[in-house]
Amino acid sequence: MTTDVGLIRTAAPGYALDLSIWTVLKWTVAICVAVVAVFPIIWMINVVFAEPGVPVSINPRLLPTSLSAGIAKIDTILSETSYLHAYYISITYSLLTIAGVLLIGSMAAFEFALFEFPGKRPMFVIVMLSLMVPTAVTLIPTYLLTANLGWLNTMQGLVVPGLASAFGLFMLIQFMRTIPREMIEAARLDGASHFQIYRHIALPMSKNALVTLAILIFMQTWGNFIWPLIVAPSPQMYTVGQVVGLFNAPFSHVTVDIVMAANLLAALPPLIFFLLFQRKIVEGIAMSGSKG
Amino acid sequence: MADLQIINVSKSYGAVEVLRDVNLSIASGEFVVFVGPSGCGKSTLLRMISGLEEAPTGEIRLEGKVVNRVDPAKRGVAMVFQSYALYPHMTAFQNMAFSLTMAREPKAVIKEKVGRAAAILRLERLLDRRPGELSGGQKQRVAIGRAIVREPKVFLFDEPLSNLDTELRVQMRAELIQLHAKLGTTMIYVTHDQVEAMTLADKMVVMNGGIIQQHGTPLGLYDDPDNKFVAGFIGSPKMNFIKAKVEAVRTDAITLSDLGGCSRLELPFRNFDADIREVELGVRTEHIDIAQDAGTTDILAAKVAFVEELGDVTFIHTDLPTGERLVVRSSKARHRGSSTECFVKLDPAGVLLFGTNGERIRSA
Repeated sequence: MTTDVGLIRTAAPGYALDLSIWTVLKWTVAICVAVVAVFPIIWMINVVFAEPGVPVSINPRLLPTSLSAGIAKIDTILSETSYLHAYYISITYSLLTIAGVLLIGSMAAFEFALFEFPGKRPMFVIVMLSLMVPTAVTLIPTYLLTANLGWLNTMQGLVVPGLASAFGLFMLIQFMRTIPREMIEAARLDGASHFQIYRHIALPMSKNALVTLAILIFMQTWGNFIWPLIVAPSPQMYTVGQVVGLFNAPFSHVTVDIVMAANLLAALPPLIFFLLFQRKIVEGIAMSGSKG
Repeated sequence: MADLQIINVSKSYGAVEVLRDVNLSIASGEFVVFVGPSGCGKSTLLRMISGLEEAPTGEIRLEGKVVNRVDPAKRGVAMVFQSYALYPHMTAFQNMAFSLTMAREPKAVIKEKVGRAAAILRLERLLDRRPGELSGGQKQRVAIGRAIVREPKVFLFDEPLSNLDTELRVQMRAELIQLHAKLGTTMIYVTHDQVEAMTLADKMVVMNGGIIQQHGTPLGLYDDPDNKFVAGFIGSPKMNFIKAKVEAVRTDAITLSDLGGCSRLELPFRNFDADIREVELGVRTEHIDIAQDAGTTDILAAKVAFVEELGDVTFIHTDLPTGERLVVRSSKARHRGSSTECFVKLDPAGVLLFGTNGERIRSA
């Protein structure tokens, strides 16, 4: 023991073991929150990767027991349902939304953040007000509008209404405001047109914000359940969320482990995404939250 | 190379008048420095020449053509900003090539022009680096390179050295002088640092309160200022000002009294306006000497407030009985630190006279 303490002290002299009550309390709360957050996922993985008919609840365990059983379940879902098609719809829906929001948001943010034009303030206020309106309020008018356009059960019906993202615009404006005015002026003197300044200066300089926004939109679009449900009710346009919804329906005859496998498949892309872009996501949330 | 005329240019932001009736003529190839305190309108004037700021009244003529409504990029001017304004996501090469890329110049031409500018500024080895990987001086060189590549008729510099440390500033100043000699292009430079202005300028334009106070060669302005502002602004330490009463006026001389309380001074002066009863004397530090004793009436008694000993020169800050501060430059001997009382003598040849309105009173 003595040697261990000695080692810790010599290895990291800056980090004295400061076990105050506050530190202990902080860690306890953090661990509790982490357990609550991670438990359902572990539970899900355990149920999926277990032999059918061996309920996890009766014989609780920390690690999965059968990899092959899990793979078999996933195989069943992918081969016997339209899960792959739903994946395709969800990914297309997400990617198109990301591309659209980034394009429209960055163009609007460029104008709002770096230039003066008549009506700028009232327009900005209106956009910001739309952030305050709950989605449920706009759902029916947006649906009616989309239906009138004949866009029910179409990809544009899914994507277009989500392109005007007030949150995305706000986040990009906050970021682009940090671009020095002199840089825009230098580009003007260098002969760049308005669009070229956007394309060659503002856009590359906002890369971090754009990546963060793309990730946040992906998480949001992937998890969006209500809009696809009402605007694309045809099975041909089912997103992953809707398919999972079918598995979870009250009168579904599917067993719990298959339902869990479907849930796992739905959770996988955002999970991988999160693990890959963890730092950017945290930065993004901090940026959009603290810089307002 | 191009000549530039600014004719009756004024500019206001709301009720605030930033520039008032500015008239200036800049000859081709001249190195002109706009100098003045913060908020005097010098940067606004530069931005108006660049086209980044509109000139609502008056005319700006470049090579005889009015350019008020010409797009900034098409005026043939290039600007170097205080913050360098380099594009952080591009390499030094891309930064310098940006204007040529925008103009869709062939790659070979871009490479050749950037290469030539890089050679002038000794940047060849740094072309692949991004601004984040360059030091302050190197960034400034890239910014200047970006301007050179455009082959402008007029270079505009907006306080380009103020972000650099003192040593680097001196070095960059020398490089700018060499660059001007090499390119021979008209250069307009804005600074609030009068030392920088004196060392760089062919023509110095002193501004205050949106008005050009005076322009001319640096030494011309130093020796022969038009008013108290210019006299006080140029030179370090500042010119000393002492109030005095006019006691007697003759054809070729005047007698001043009440200098620093009680002294009198005989000053050669032709055709002095006898109506003027009060004046202010402007004397540079080098025209004041420490006297041995109060032998004559033109010697002023003063108290030493503090002494700046810089090795080659010593500045003795003294207070006159009237409370006026008088700085004496002494290069002959180092100050004998113990004494607090001293006597100073003004050199009549170095004394300038100003009226109570701050305007210079000149001998005819």
